[in-house]
Amino acid sequence: MKEEKLLKEPFLVVFKRWMMSAGGITITLAVVAAIIATIDSGPFIIVNTVVTGGMWALLSLGLSLVFGVMNIPNFAHGEFFLIGSMTAYFVFNPMRLYLNDNPSAFLSAIAPFLGIFLAFLVGALMGIIMEKLIFSPLRKRSRDQWVMNSFLLTVGISVVIINNIQLIWGANFKGIPSYWNVDPLEFLGVRLSVDRLAALLLSVITLAIFWYFMRRTQTGRAVRAVAQDETGALLVGINLNKILSLTMALSAGLAAMAGASLLFMFPAYPTAGLKPLYVAWYVVILVGLGNVSAAVIGGFIVALLQTLTSYYIGTGWEDVIPTAVIIIMLIFKPSGLFGSVVKGVHEQ
Amino acid sequence: MSAVLETNEVLKVFGGLTAVDHVTLSVQEGEIFGIIGPNGAGKTTFLNSIAGTYVPDGGQVRFLGEDTTGFSSDAMCRRGMARTFQISKPFPKMTALENVMVAATFGNKTIIKNPTALAIEKLAFVEFPMPVHTPAESLNTVQLKRLDLARALASNPRLLLLDELAAGLTTGELGDLMDIIRKIRDSGVTIIMIEHIMRVIMGLCDRLAVIYYGAKIAEGPTIEVAQDPKVAEAYLGKKYDL
Repeated sequence: MKEEKLLKEPFLVVFKRWMMSAGGITITLAVVAAIIATIDSGPFIIVNTVVTGGMWALLSLGLSLVFGVMNIPNFAHGEFFLIGSMTAYFVFNPMRLYLNDNPSAFLSAIAPFLGIFLAFLVGALMGIIMEKLIFSPLRKRSRDQWVMNSFLLTVGISVVIINNIQLIWGANFKGIPSYWNVDPLEFLGVRLSVDRLAALLLSVITLAIFWYFMRRTQTGRAVRAVAQDETGALLVGINLNKILSLTMALSAGLAAMAGASLLFMFPAYPTAGLKPLYVAWYVVILVGLGNVSAAVIGGFIVALLQTLTSYYIGTGWEDVIPTAVIIIMLIFKPSGLFGSVVKGVHEQ
Repeated sequence: MSAVLETNEVLKVFGGLTAVDHVTLSVQEGEIFGIIGPNGAGKTTFLNSIAGTYVPDGGQVRFLGEDTTGFSSDAMCRRGMARTFQISKPFPKMTALENVMVAATFGNKTIIKNPTALAIEKLAFVEFPMPVHTPAESLNTVQLKRLDLARALASNPRLLLLDELAAGLTTGELGDLMDIIRKIRDSGVTIIMIEHIMRVIMGLCDRLAVIYYGAKIAEGPTIEVAQDPKVAEAYLGKKYDL
């Protein structure tokens, strides 16, 4: 297909405008802060930032997607993270014990991926069940007060899941020492465990696939179409129920995948989903509700904030500083850094 | 000629208000069928009730010989009924081409092998004046109307519902749009249009129905209906001069 030339502004003008926008200023500040901190205390700051940032990006992307497409403020998102880490634990732990007795280099290399992939599938399945069992009936019954009702529902779902997990598997920590039992790699003078490297690679690959899916495939276009205009989407023959189930599945699956990939850092226990939930909401509020691509950038910015806080101020302040930053930011830019206008349910 | 769309006593009630009052119509293949009536008469509600936006409270809708009463709008679209809204409903963050591609992919009954080619073809058919990669949010009203048309045509419809497509256009733009609508009809698509502008109605429609307070008060060939004293009183004004 021939690319037709659009009237384009000179690059410098666009760049200058971007640099003066809230998003541009924040990204520049974040990059500068990361570089200064790295020179000051060593490259591990950057390494920690990108490893956790990638996972926060996966988490907040799902949260943002569900809000953008379905208008659901999902307060059960952390439970998908938990379901992911539980699944990975129950899949990977028996394999780990088995491999201890019967060493096999090949199996030990792929076992973690199997656990993480199954976690994605289980998470996605839970997402579909939640959509079909809870949101779809509500949508049919009434769309009045949709955001409020779905918010209350997700909080309820969260309580139910947490208590059921506690009832069935108990409240003790289920963790693993590491996925890959090999020596850490030396990289730019930082010792980087293979687990962290794998988590980073997984998040980068997943983000790339997700981007390709949303931008270049017809199904991805349909998801974006539903997010932008639901009536219009119905008008061109898009089956809304399928797209909404797919959205929920993707969102839950990505959260579960993040939970599984970080099992070596965050062991699974009933309320393990709370912290990831808060982080995902920090990110989404920071960049603007429903803005999916900005959520990825936000994931890394929040991770940087947390890394810097825990190193320079203390681990206990890790949640305080990002929250304070968000409060200050909201005073100046209530629609979020990359503030797109959030569409109301009634405008659909 | 066979009937593309038949409605039998279609009824739509909102609370105590009867918006569509037992409307019975039949639209023949290959014609341009106009629906006129004063504002708030229930014309759009009638279209919504046959196209699946609303579920009718009574009566039947038969489309291409199949009872489609109460089907959802995406199902109707795949069965070959496309429509445009009074206010354009594009996907603002997508390019014009992507807008039409989505319709080409999801609006057709059969799987389209090359939705991009189909989308480009349809945009060319409606003489879309801008580069196809222009984002929909930066289009003006006239361009959006053409995009809406291209999007509706991308699902290869048998019947096209146009809801006040000509609203807000200048005289010159009206002429272009009428040419396109004729071209669409000549390509074998039956058209139902709601319109207020009598020039468009008289120039395009083969037959007309007049809806007044939800009920159909007249139906027939355009000239006859326009000269009907009952219609003149209800809508056109007593001294409407053809």
